[in-house]
Amino acid sequence: MPGMEWAWLIPALSFIAFALIVAFGRWLPGRGAFIAVLAIGAGFVLFWPVMVDLVRTGLPGEPGQYGFSWTWFPVGDTRLTWGMIVDPLSVLMLGIVTLVALGVQVYSLEYMRGEPRYGWYFAAHALFAASMLTLVLADNFILLYIVWELVGLCSYLLIGFWFERRSAAEAAKKAFVTTRIGDVGLLVGILLLFKVTGTFQMSAIFAEAAKLAAGEPSLLSSGTATAAAILIFVGAMGKSAQFPLHVWLPDAMEGPSPVSALIHAATMVVAGVFLVARAFPLFDAAPTAVLIVAVVGLITAVLAATMALVVTDLKRILAYSTVTDLGLMMLSLGAFGVTAAMFHLLAHAFAKAMLFLGAGSVMHGMHEPGDVDIRKAGGLWRRMPLTALTFGIGALALAGVPPLSGFFSKDEIFGALWSHRPAVFVLLFLVVAFLKAVYLSRAWLAVFSGPLKRENEHVHESPLAMTLPLLVMGALTLVLGFLAIGWTADYQGFGTFVFFHEAEAFHFNLGLAAVSVVVAVGGLAVAWATYVTGRISAASVQRRVAPLHRLVASKYYMDDLYQWVINKLVLAFSGLVAWFDRVVVNDGGVNGTAESVRSSGLRLRYHVSGKMYNYALGMALGAVAVILLWWLVAPV
Amino acid sequence: MTFFDTHALEFLVFLPVVAAVVILLVPAERPSVVLRIAWAAGALMLVGSLYVFVRYDYTQGGFQLVHQYRWLDQLGISLKLAVDGISTPMVLLTGVVIFAGTLVSWNIGQSHEGTGEHGGVPTTRQRNKDFFILLFLLVSGVFGTFVSVDLFFLFFFYELAVIPMYLLIGVWGSSSTFPTFSRTKEYSAMKLVLYLVGGSILAWVAILAIYVVSQAGTFDIEVLSEVSFDPGFQRTFFPFLLVGFGVLAGLWPFHTWSPDGHVAAPTAVSMLHAGVLMKLGAFGIIRVGMTLLPEGATTWMPVLFGVATVNVLYGAISAMHQQDLKYVVGYSSVSHMGYVLMGLATMEPIGVAGAVLQMFSHGVMTALFFALVGVVYDRAHLRDIGVLEGLAKRMGWTATFFVIVGLTSLGLPGLSGFVAELLVFIGAFRTQPVLAILGIVGAAVTAVYILRLLAKVFFGPVSPRWEGLPDAKPLEAFAASILTASIVFVGLYPLPFIRMINTGVKALLDRVSGA
Repeated sequence: MPGMEWAWLIPALSFIAFALIVAFGRWLPGRGAFIAVLAIGAGFVLFWPVMVDLVRTGLPGEPGQYGFSWTWFPVGDTRLTWGMIVDPLSVLMLGIVTLVALGVQVYSLEYMRGEPRYGWYFAAHALFAASMLTLVLADNFILLYIVWELVGLCSYLLIGFWFERRSAAEAAKKAFVTTRIGDVGLLVGILLLFKVTGTFQMSAIFAEAAKLAAGEPSLLSSGTATAAAILIFVGAMGKSAQFPLHVWLPDAMEGPSPVSALIHAATMVVAGVFLVARAFPLFDAAPTAVLIVAVVGLITAVLAATMALVVTDLKRILAYSTVTDLGLMMLSLGAFGVTAAMFHLLAHAFAKAMLFLGAGSVMHGMHEPGDVDIRKAGGLWRRMPLTALTFGIGALALAGVPPLSGFFSKDEIFGALWSHRPAVFVLLFLVVAFLKAVYLSRAWLAVFSGPLKRENEHVHESPLAMTLPLLVMGALTLVLGFLAIGWTADYQGFGTFVFFHEAEAFHFNLGLAAVSVVVAVGGLAVAWATYVTGRISAASVQRRVAPLHRLVASKYYMDDLYQWVINKLVLAFSGLVAWFDRVVVNDGGVNGTAESVRSSGLRLRYHVSGKMYNYALGMALGAVAVILLWWLVAPV
Repeated sequence: MTFFDTHALEFLVFLPVVAAVVILLVPAERPSVVLRIAWAAGALMLVGSLYVFVRYDYTQGGFQLVHQYRWLDQLGISLKLAVDGISTPMVLLTGVVIFAGTLVSWNIGQSHEGTGEHGGVPTTRQRNKDFFILLFLLVSGVFGTFVSVDLFFLFFFYELAVIPMYLLIGVWGSSSTFPTFSRTKEYSAMKLVLYLVGGSILAWVAILAIYVVSQAGTFDIEVLSEVSFDPGFQRTFFPFLLVGFGVLAGLWPFHTWSPDGHVAAPTAVSMLHAGVLMKLGAFGIIRVGMTLLPEGATTWMPVLFGVATVNVLYGAISAMHQQDLKYVVGYSSVSHMGYVLMGLATMEPIGVAGAVLQMFSHGVMTALFFALVGVVYDRAHLRDIGVLEGLAKRMGWTATFFVIVGLTSLGLPGLSGFVAELLVFIGAFRTQPVLAILGIVGAAVTAVYILRLLAKVFFGPVSPRWEGLPDAKPLEAFAASILTASIVFVGLYPLPFIRMINTGVKALLDRVSGA
């Protein structure tokens, strides 16, 4: 019976699949796509014995742990290693990533049929999954950084999958550049920790952080810990699309829909949340950094929630909804709610994957390759009931309607905020929760309810390979929430599995739950009144808050600001440097030197006059000069 | 030691000369024969350098495969060939790049660059014979510099590697005209050679000073490294070596020969020049400067650290604004050589090891860059980023390789550039955190200009003008594959390189700390 020592095989299989498809895919049936699916499927199967082993070897309430590492290469006084750690956090992520990736790949078998580069698509998916799976298992910061970058690369390759489209090429570039700006922070943070502690090993660094938090002598000083935590968070901000580095995610829609599903649910964007959760012992020693996490998360959530209200492209609404949820996860971490954040990550992963796959299904049915304007759709539930049903479940779950998964996770975040952060955080959190309910139900109502448009008569339900993943994830979204609750004596709820410091059994706060239900249902009601009965006129509301609407609809001018900075500052500065190099350094300095040699030669040649008395004068002057010099320096 | 071990290094140094002589005997009207001989010689050089790489015993360290010929006893000059942990990877680099370079030179003398000038009569430009003769002389110089443990011959080979460049660029190169300025190939060739010769004069002054002051009566580096020079002497003459060799390494502000020279040079020469010759500069700083004048190095390295940071950022920021593919790669070389200098400036085992690995990594990477730009230029007859668009659709292989090399350039893990730069950053952060951070920012700037270039030239809709563009030939794809394989190998499994470099760096830095 395989156990935790087999965990490394889960990412390894997908790495192998990537190599096999790249090398031999073109000669295999279906371009080798099945290899990727088999690899990730096997990974999902392997996840179970790993988890069972993890739970079984631990004491009750304190799950086991397993790790190993081998030397990549020694250099100087240190050695770089590749190693893995199997603990509840990584096993949770293994489950999420393998299942979502499996669903997405099965769905893609049908969705991408007939595409050129079909094999490459699956190779990139395999590499994506493999990198993310290694990321969650990494036991040291170097390996983490390596796969962290590979995750970024895969998003670049997949967002730009249709590279013949200018917009796709630009979106891919934007995603890669933006996340790399964040990665500067991450790398500097890692190097700072190495300089102080002399190791890249997470366990050793976190042990020092724990000493610092406990007030014992530690290699880390409070200032270093804070700086390192903030720098690591900057990396997380890039990947997890936190304000002000969120701009790449909405544009990432340019990739095929299943890619969006993967990026938004299980890989890429949750990497940042995972990183902060993984490094939480460090953050715990740096309260200022935790506060920054909370503030950034909150700002992100509020801004994204408002933007999701005003956009009309289905995938863009979902993208902003992802940014909102990522903000909430960060907010939760910033309120010391590690359990809540990870539970929300879990709930969000399946719901959001389902929403994106549903959006893809809608596009597939409407034969709209790029994106669907929700104003063009409507009444589609008659044509695609399964898609409508699962999309509805996902929307309701993320809106926080009981008893779906999102309700439980939102409740946990609420609880964490309530006990650790001041009222303003709680208040804004409730505003976000309300807006979420509004825009998600707006999306569902606009696409699936109402009368069917004439031009949409041809729309049809998607084939089984696409609806099956939807149904599976829908079922999971229905039941996953109950993981929060302890059902048996051995399982006291999610809080006893993934936690920081101490395990916490599930407890239900009726007051908080009631508030959150009221907020969610209120959001649904507002959307219903606006988009179904027409009691509230969206247009008149828009008119009344016109300046605000313009601000939000222009995405808070963030894209314009960045464009301005790039055009007016960065490119201008690089133009200045390039000009300086060519004109000042080269033409002035280098050619100038050459020119002065040439011109001095031209002038000096006149002293070679050929006239004897000139030479005699020269000799005489020279002799006088030598004598004078000798007379000056000679000892008296 | 077997016969092969004793003579492996001579083989490498003299094989190119022999090949040049053989090519000399082939009639100029038989370019395909010349080409085949060149390929065979290139392959033999790769095999020879691989042999040296495999034979070097990293557990022993020190100088190996030593072979010494007496030459001028009165002055203490001998042809002493040997490799250590630092020069062995450089020898392999040279073998890899020259083989790939001969492969992609199939079109020398028949491309658009040389045709139609004199009504059908082949001019020198249209013959590949003279080209390969000069190229191989140059390569002999490169191998010679890396394996000489005698200052006199090191300098001799160093010059031998520079001089043929003048003709190679001046005759087979290309001039370019831009809206705001133009550069003739003659200008670029002359600037390059004057610059490098100027640098070597500085280095030669220092070498002679070392020879005279040591009073050892020998040019043997191993003997001289035992001499402890007066600290004042070291501090005075180290800058001569630093700047003298640094010119060839693209040291700011003496770098302007480099982008212009690369742009004007034909593909194989750009590959060899940016790939290998720039490493000779850095190698000179290590082998002569840091080895013989360790205290001088300790004094001046903080200055180099600052200049190297300027190199990194200045090169990257300049590259961002270039419109010509070759200028982008040329300035990116200035930037990436900055990491080599930065690593050396750390004077710390991890950083210096990173610098040496970066020398290998950048050599292979930039050779691949120039090979691919050459393919594009050969097909499209221009290199303007603003005009080329959507080539990936038509030139799938070229685009694939270009993406890989671009990712290497921006330091993507799994490829060689990452390992090297990571080590440089680790070492640099330990010594000068602020400058190290600026270096990391430079890597982010690299991402910007590389991704911009990829998006503009290869992605997007293919414009009608480039619809009929043929992809890389199998030969070119093969050359690119060899370079790519080296990049991926070092990126995933750098251990064979690192453990070798570790021994060399340890010996080097022990001398510094012992001084």
